[in-house]
Amino acid sequence: MMMTGAYPSVVVRVTCALLSPFIAMFGLYVIAHGHYGPGGGFAGGVFVAVGAILPRLTLPEELSYRIFPRWIGPAAGGVGLLLFLLVGLAPMLVGAEFLDYGAVEIPGMAASRVRYLGILIVEVGVGLAVFGAMLMIFDVLTLRDDDA
Amino acid sequence: MIVALDVILFLILLATAVLALQVKDLLAAVSLLAGYSLFAALLFAGVSAVDVALVEAALGAGVTGVLFIAAILATARRSDAPSDRRRRLVVLPLIVAFVAMMLFASTGLPDRGDPEAPAQLGVSQTYLADSLADTETPNVVTSLLADYRSLDTLGETMVIVTAALSAALVLARRGEVPAWPQRRGGTDPGGGGGGPDPDAPDRAPEAGSAALADPGGHVAAWSPTGESPTETDNEPDPEERP
Repeated sequence: MMMTGAYPSVVVRVTCALLSPFIAMFGLYVIAHGHYGPGGGFAGGVFVAVGAILPRLTLPEELSYRIFPRWIGPAAGGVGLLLFLLVGLAPMLVGAEFLDYGAVEIPGMAASRVRYLGILIVEVGVGLAVFGAMLMIFDVLTLRDDDA
Repeated sequence: MIVALDVILFLILLATAVLALQVKDLLAAVSLLAGYSLFAALLFAGVSAVDVALVEAALGAGVTGVLFIAAILATARRSDAPSDRRRRLVVLPLIVAFVAMMLFASTGLPDRGDPEAPAQLGVSQTYLADSLADTETPNVVTSLLADYRSLDTLGETMVIVTAALSAALVLARRGEVPAWPQRRGGTDPGGGGGGPDPDAPDRAPEAGSAALADPGGHVAAWSPTGESPTETDNEPDPEERP
């Protein structure tokens, strides 16, 4: 059960501490760059989750749970899903169909640009939801009896 | 794509899969599975499915391994010996028949990249032609997933969040002795009822938890007997995501 916490080897600790912020940043890049390259919300969310899980595996607990607290898993999952749903509902306010982002008129923006923006928000929502789901599963798997 | 490279990758893929099934140390099996996912990702990349390859590499070779290891540390590290070797006599012919059926069916599939394939003739032409003008998104996969077919993606996201929540709800309670009484056979219609309960207010929470445990019908059945093997079973596996 002693899964989380400081890993005995200093090499592993330092390597993971150095790598994890860059892995998380690469995840953010993958989410933001989904329009132009491979990836998007799913892959990016998983990368950010890895950036959060690595410190949990190797660093002292008070440190790793301060960077990414326990509540952030369920919160990110819910907020991501909500973001997706709200973006889907926004066109319905102007009488269009669910998830038809292009129907929302933003002054100074072509319809294609609004759809571009809608895709970006959806990707961020999916990324948050996947990140939250992965972190939630990991946290609950490594839950110890005394901190239930 | 290079045929020789594909064949080599396929052979490594098969080898890792067979080894992962054979090995008794589950940690070794998990590393083999991660390797399997990595080579599967390479194969996907070989057929230009870069988006799928990226997800497979991140999920299959990355997070899934960590989640499996966490599950192993929470349960047992070695897999039990097969209980009955005669079972193979039944299972092996079934597997062979299934593989033969699949291979036979695959002869009816169109060739890869065939412009006359049904998948190429339908609505996909419109997506490929209009994606850039409609959404200013050069990567058609992204505009397909997040715009044209965003309802599918919404459903998928819901499935993932729901699966993680159910895993959390089931696993957070492990180790507790179930407070509800055993209800064998009483799981069918009366589970949601709770009709006769209002006259006994002090029993209400207990009845509530029993009703909560009922929908699966499994919880009350497995908890007292032995919980370690079922914990891994309950983990919603990210690999199952399409």
